Amino acid sequence: MYKYDTYDHSLVRERIDEFRDQVERRLDGRLTEDQFKPLRLMNGVYLQLHAYMLRVAIPYGTLNGPQVRTLGHIARTYDKGYGHFTTRTNIQYNWPKLVDIPDILEDLAKVEMHAIQTSGNCIRNVTADPFAGAAADEIEDGRPWAEIIRQWSTFHPEFTFLPRKFKIAVNGAGEDRAGIRVHDIGLQIVRNAAGETGFEVWVGGGQGRTPRLGRKIRDFLAPEDLLSYLTAILRVYNQHGRRDNLYKARIKILVEALGAGEFGRQTEEEWAHIREGELKLPAAEIARIRAFFDAPPIAEATAIPATGRADFAQWLRRNRRDHKVAGLSSVVISLKPVGGAPGDITADQLDAVAGIAERYGFDEVRATPDQNLVLPHVRNADLEAVFDALAAAGLATANAGLATDIVACPGLDYCSLANARSIPIAQAISSLIEAEGLAGDVGDVTIKIDGCINACGHHHVAHIGVLGVDKRGEEFYQITLGGAFGTDAAIGNIVGKGLAGDDVPAAIVRLLRTYLEIRDENERFIDTLRRVGDEAFKESIYVAA
Amino acid sequence: MLQLERKPLARETAQNQIEAGGGHVVEIPGESDWRDAAEQVRDAVQVDIRFSSFKDGRGFTLATQLRERAGFTGRLRAVGDLIPDQARYLHRVGFDDVAPERTDLAADWAKARARFSHAYQPAQDKVTPIFRHRQARPGDDLAALNARYRGADAADILRDAIRNEWAGRIAVLSSFGAEAAVGLHMIARIAPDTPVIFLDTGRLFAQTEQYQRALTETLGLTNIRMLRPDAGEAAAEDGDDRLWQRDPDACCALRKVRPLDKVIGEYDALITGRKRFHGGERLALPVVERINGRIRVNPLASWDAEKVNAYFQRFDLPRHPLSDMGYASIGCWPCTAPVQDDGDVRSGRWAGRNKTECGIHTPSRIAAE
Repeated sequence: MYKYDTYDHSLVRERIDEFRDQVERRLDGRLTEDQFKPLRLMNGVYLQLHAYMLRVAIPYGTLNGPQVRTLGHIARTYDKGYGHFTTRTNIQYNWPKLVDIPDILEDLAKVEMHAIQTSGNCIRNVTADPFAGAAADEIEDGRPWAEIIRQWSTFHPEFTFLPRKFKIAVNGAGEDRAGIRVHDIGLQIVRNAAGETGFEVWVGGGQGRTPRLGRKIRDFLAPEDLLSYLTAILRVYNQHGRRDNLYKARIKILVEALGAGEFGRQTEEEWAHIREGELKLPAAEIARIRAFFDAPPIAEATAIPATGRADFAQWLRRNRRDHKVAGLSSVVISLKPVGGAPGDITADQLDAVAGIAERYGFDEVRATPDQNLVLPHVRNADLEAVFDALAAAGLATANAGLATDIVACPGLDYCSLANARSIPIAQAISSLIEAEGLAGDVGDVTIKIDGCINACGHHHVAHIGVLGVDKRGEEFYQITLGGAFGTDAAIGNIVGKGLAGDDVPAAIVRLLRTYLEIRDENERFIDTLRRVGDEAFKESIYVAA
Repeated sequence: MLQLERKPLARETAQNQIEAGGGHVVEIPGESDWRDAAEQVRDAVQVDIRFSSFKDGRGFTLATQLRERAGFTGRLRAVGDLIPDQARYLHRVGFDDVAPERTDLAADWAKARARFSHAYQPAQDKVTPIFRHRQARPGDDLAALNARYRGADAADILRDAIRNEWAGRIAVLSSFGAEAAVGLHMIARIAPDTPVIFLDTGRLFAQTEQYQRALTETLGLTNIRMLRPDAGEAAAEDGDDRLWQRDPDACCALRKVRPLDKVIGEYDALITGRKRFHGGERLALPVVERINGRIRVNPLASWDAEKVNAYFQRFDLPRHPLSDMGYASIGCWPCTAPVQDDGDVRSGRWAGRNKTECGIHTPSRIAAE
């Protein structure tokens, strides 16, 4: 993985000094609260319902053992013993004291981490396929490009006070696991007729209040032109994106208003003037960054172990993924124990993950948009030892991709924006599905829950989405159907009136039972839904109500 | 629908005209599209871009595009609701100056502007982006360096040279002469511990020695490196103290060139205060050059006497005591005279002889092989 050099180190240290200075100036009045707010947000510091929250960046979701151990140290020392992984592959701490935050940042800097641009109206952490560099269906590892974008976007002089936040995702595999169509810019690595790799460029995707799928504005962008093209897009957006209405300020609104064709034309017009300039990436720098992301070597091509253990077999079936290198596998560490808070992990569990990654995982861990972790490279011969070590830490839940692998935003338990609780709803749903013994039969299905329309929990792109709304002081939950996050990206449809929170788990169970009744053989939930439409399911949601 | 209508451009104000010395000054809102703005600013010497809110970043792109697309080369000033934490961003996108609404935070602005030592992106300040640094070694590409520094502020060139390009391997060469305070003042604000090499030839004016001590203290320079001629060589070659008269080249070699040669190997680059308007061989002076295999950085190469004087006034810098007495360029006392009427700035150096340089900036005949 990427290793800082003296330049990267000095910028992170200088940023901490800057933040200390900003806190000091806020305290003595040289900065007003209105001025301080965007500055603290751009260092990942939120003011939540009960306390400050610190969001730490995990660039393109990639971590090593010492970094994971440091995350555990922070959870133990400055928080209440746990952290929370987010859908944008970052980690949040919900209880730090403001005065401790510069010290936390110092601890992070020691292991080449930071909280830079994890919030604010700037270019946020770049996300990628969590299986990048490992996936069997990969065209090219997207992480070197994500790192190049991370550097270019860090403290960008032109794009730090944008109309609204800006998210970029890079996907390098055949299947889209980065969600490029629900990002402000999605970059899909493709191969052209000459066999060269480049990028498809998608713009204007996003979730929130006005969910939109991104539109493709370029079929093939040569890699050395990446930064000039991104600059051109951001220039058009920075100048013409709306600033009069917070809810209409994202690039998706501009792309929709202009039309993707016109937006693309304006981008290309700007790009024509800068593509041969200073932003053209030198081949040597591309090669230098790429060299950090080589796949690990493998001694012998061992097969997946046969096993008589039911628990290990189930875990292999659900949580193991094929690797591009013979003899290796990737495994998902589910952070969704039945009845647990999605994405939460304790300090001890973080230490355990660090140890397992160092011993068996070539020192690499990934965070995923599903709020899980991945060990991207594990020798097949070590799979059983990994399973046992994870089980000992309470991290071997064999439900990756199942109905109990629920994504949820922090909701009204933490978030100052939320209208409704989401974690307790997730816990109740997964507990009921488990009690009914449904998860295994139902198989692949995504359930995602949000406590408000900002959609951090990605309910718009879930097969089954749950959105909490506040109606005259009471929580209600709308169900959406048919959304999808990846290659077949789609925005779910609201099926009807909201349900009381207590009624949601049973409604979802009925929905899943309906699927089991009407599915064709081997048909996944989403395929049945697309075949028969929402109506058949709508009935099961409201039957008891 | 989108609201892309442009607000009307503000008319120039008389007050700004006065500030800019009678030139044509235009104020435009940060919300302007650069194409509309380009029309308005074509003949302006100064353009003020007004930020209605520090959170509205349109002015950052507008400034960039006025520089990049409209080719505006005059002064750009950011005015309005701005905070010190934006100092570096403003500078990087091409602003020369800032006039924030709150005026009591000059120290915070200065600190914020110098906060970061490097930058990942290329921008209008021509600082070398980190990704180019990583490719820059070994060997310095003079053409690329000069292209990058073309049109850049002297202070930016110095910051980049001292902090990035030759960090830890660069020193300043200063005569503590009539113009020296300009470059030294900039350096003191960037890194007051930068080594300042001062050649004490043993033939300096008493006023120069006094000025050297005073200026060092005023600017807070902490690393003066005083070089003197070798005493044995001086006794052997200049026993009668008349070498300057018999053979000034030999005198300069004894008292300046050889003492510098002894330490020059410790640095990859030396900063000088030479300027093209000095005339002679300096007329074609580049910002970065290589002399005997070592880099010289001349950040003030394009400055003229007027700009030097304005800088002295702006920062209220102390003058060399002899500069009021007609000495425009000050070397050793036996070979320096005041400039006669209409004479070039260096015409008082080795006056009456066919010599214009002491030799520390001249390629040596041996090294030229």
